[in-house]
Amino acid sequence: MTVPTTAPAPALSPADAYHGFLDALAEADEYAAVDVALGLVDAGVPAERVLLDLVAPAQAEVGERWARNAWSVAQEHAATHISERVVAAVAAHANPHPTRGRIVVACMDGEWHALPPRLVAEVLRLRGWQVTFLGASVPAAHLVSYLHRHDAHAVALACALPMRLPHAHRMVEACRRSDVPVVVGGRGFGQDGRWARRLGMAWAPDAPAAADLVADERALRRVAPADVSLLADDEYAGLTKRRGELIESALCALRERFAGMRKYSPAQLDSTVSDLGYIVDFLAAAVYVDDPSLFTEFVEWLVGILVSRGVPAASVGLTLAHYAGELRDFPRAARFLGAARALV
Amino acid sequence: MTAAGVRDWDPGDGRISTSGTRVPAWSADVPVRPAGALPPLAPDRGPPVLDWSEVVEHLREGLVVCDTAGVVRHLSPVAERLLPEVTVGRVLAASGVEGLRAPTHGDEFSHRGRRLRIRQVPLSTGGCCWYVEDVTDNITRADALLAERARAAFLARVGEKLGNPLHPDRAAAAVARLAVPTLADVAVLVLAPRSGRARWWRATRADDGAPSVDVGVLSAADLPAAVDEGLAGFEPQVPDWLVEQAVDAGWLTGVTAADVSVRVVPLPGRDLPAGVLLVARGACRYYDEADVELVRAFAARAGAALTTAVLYRDQAEVADTLQASLVPVEPAEAAGVQWGTAYRPAQAGLRIGGDFYGSHRLPDGGSVFFLGDVSGKGVEAAVFTGQLRQCLQALHRVEAHPGRLLRLLNDALLETTQANGQGRFATIVLGVARPRGDGGLTLSMSGGGHLPPLVLRASGEVEPVGLRGMLIGVVPDPRVGEVSVELAPGETCLLYSDGVTEARGGRRGDEQFGADRLVHTITGCQRMPAPALAERVEQVTCDWLAHGDHDDIAVLALRATGPQGRSMRHLHAVPALRH
Repeated sequence: MTVPTTAPAPALSPADAYHGFLDALAEADEYAAVDVALGLVDAGVPAERVLLDLVAPAQAEVGERWARNAWSVAQEHAATHISERVVAAVAAHANPHPTRGRIVVACMDGEWHALPPRLVAEVLRLRGWQVTFLGASVPAAHLVSYLHRHDAHAVALACALPMRLPHAHRMVEACRRSDVPVVVGGRGFGQDGRWARRLGMAWAPDAPAAADLVADERALRRVAPADVSLLADDEYAGLTKRRGELIESALCALRERFAGMRKYSPAQLDSTVSDLGYIVDFLAAAVYVDDPSLFTEFVEWLVGILVSRGVPAASVGLTLAHYAGELRDFPRAARFLGAARALV
Repeated sequence: MTAAGVRDWDPGDGRISTSGTRVPAWSADVPVRPAGALPPLAPDRGPPVLDWSEVVEHLREGLVVCDTAGVVRHLSPVAERLLPEVTVGRVLAASGVEGLRAPTHGDEFSHRGRRLRIRQVPLSTGGCCWYVEDVTDNITRADALLAERARAAFLARVGEKLGNPLHPDRAAAAVARLAVPTLADVAVLVLAPRSGRARWWRATRADDGAPSVDVGVLSAADLPAAVDEGLAGFEPQVPDWLVEQAVDAGWLTGVTAADVSVRVVPLPGRDLPAGVLLVARGACRYYDEADVELVRAFAARAGAALTTAVLYRDQAEVADTLQASLVPVEPAEAAGVQWGTAYRPAQAGLRIGGDFYGSHRLPDGGSVFFLGDVSGKGVEAAVFTGQLRQCLQALHRVEAHPGRLLRLLNDALLETTQANGQGRFATIVLGVARPRGDGGLTLSMSGGGHLPPLVLRASGEVEPVGLRGMLIGVVPDPRVGEVSVELAPGETCLLYSDGVTEARGGRRGDEQFGADRLVHTITGCQRMPAPALAERVEQVTCDWLAHGDHDDIAVLALRATGPQGRSMRHLHAVPALRH
């Protein structure tokens, strides 16, 4: 007999299957991961629960492992790809018949975290909507031209990083100009969706909430308008304009202070430059929604990431101090930088 | 000096003085003294003795002068006309005029069908003077102005909402929704019937603001006569009859038929009306001429939006069909190969560009694969990629050797471009992948001036493939590079376009991404499935661009999956080696 005797008993709940599933992701074993998920579906677990109680928490763990530097970017990408295959397999297995209108699900331009919106897309599909998933990093022009060609009941837009909030805002406005209501989701809008509210958008904390919201068109359209006074001063515009110059001067300051940086490889230099850019982008986004917590939360997160990769927290402190010096004419940005420096 | 000589005297209430020569357009009903009646002012005259009672007689404000006891002592003719109840010698309060009871300042009240504004000014001699002004016309004018402003604001909002080309169904729903509540409690938009069926959208006023919209279909034969008339371009005129028809059509569920007012206006289209708008409101708020004018103005904008939407849809359908034929086709599944692709055209609104990739299965189990880039951008480039892919589709059936296939392609393109008189050329990597017995792949590739492929080895290291050659579609017998590469199971070959390596970004946004960064991006990614690897290259390139403009980006990755293919799934119970 060639039947392996070590085969585990089929899991009966997403919680039982969780560890086996994570192992399959760690091994980049697509077939094993698909087997675990479909095994649950075959055992009678509703497809929606498999997606939300198995795939979603596993993906959160994948992100955690990357943040702790336990996994490389390559491992994270491979695991995410396999999770996407699992979602596709579960969706194809359930094969729901669409009875309701069309919902377009997309990631913001520049956003590559496609799995959470993909889960939302499949939950909506399981609830009878006809779903078009446009994928990762959808340019606004592409989304709008899609909406002109296909009558959509609503758009679900995902944003994982708060630094893209200004873009998200513009994208939502573009959809609204096409008279299509938008529901937004993702951690980019804050844990409690406060930045979505600030920008006058309907926000859903998770896939079931998004499904409930799109089912109620009048609730979708009944959104308190954005507080446009946020953009009354031109700090946001000024920050985006000076982005390149700020990064350049911060790099010089870091080189002077940290002798080790002179021996950085081109790749290390690139990632330093992109970290310096993130700091400016998050600062600009915080100014855009006028909320210092957006920036301070990011700085805390960044310090955690860098320390786990052996980069001293002092380099962040130095960068913040440098930006604060450069941005004396930007009262709000300077205040946010001050709040962040107090943390480092 | 006579009273008529009082010119440029401001009564102090903010109104324009009755300067003889300048007649405001809105004062047509205010008696204006012609300029000619004014005696010229003689500068050499001595100081005039004023007869004040004569002066005040001609003020537009009437005067009622009372003594300390409140008895009327003087009444100007204007006041006499406005307040006939008041008589000289009697107590003012006893006149029975409500508005004159309490001392006021700048109060307004209605009296005998006119709107009067009064103010009371104490006199130094004791007693007081009441100034009475007839402001009926001012109020009417202000009301009309406010109404006009509200209409203008409404139409501006409508213009803004309908100004973007929308999907026709969206536009129809938006038209119905925008009509409520400003124009109607219930608004029904009926589109001109297509193949015997007319679709309608109905918006109904809801208490909490946003109207609710529902849709339905009527057979053209069942349309109310008034709608038919509207669709023919006429505006039906008999309101009662309209209510009946709207009720019969089942559109007026929310309102009581008895006190409903209904209007039907056509929405102008390109030739015949694009549809008809039926507006209804209850509670005896009938549509007067100004309301109907507003409905017509709204209908004109709605008709334009619907026409644009339909025009846009028709053209988009054509464009979509053409685009679909030019979008790169995902590689055909082949034994032993896992394909990964990424494609990002330069023009985001367009799904096509000058980069192309694809694969075709060969009868012997191998696959022809290719990735390339044609000169130019946008639609014209995409059309050329279409020709090129069709050539390959046909030619691979007669020639499976990459080098010879590339030369054939060159000849075919040269002929096409010369015939069409267009100087188009392309760069391309074209290869054949054949599965080996051990689960690896043998790749024979030929190069037509394209960027050399990269190979990601099982060790995680990246090797460039030495592949050169000349552009194709330029000279009759180009120098074609040829190379053979062995992929062990799990190893990947990556083809990419110059949109990746020439992406401009970085610190100042002008630095090229370059080959070194690309190599670094995939180094160590040997365990990534091919689709994940292709997406990674796309992602890192786009991050580098940071929303900047870019050229078309195309990536094709092919990975040797190993001998078992999908049968590997049964091995997952065996614990894998951990690093």
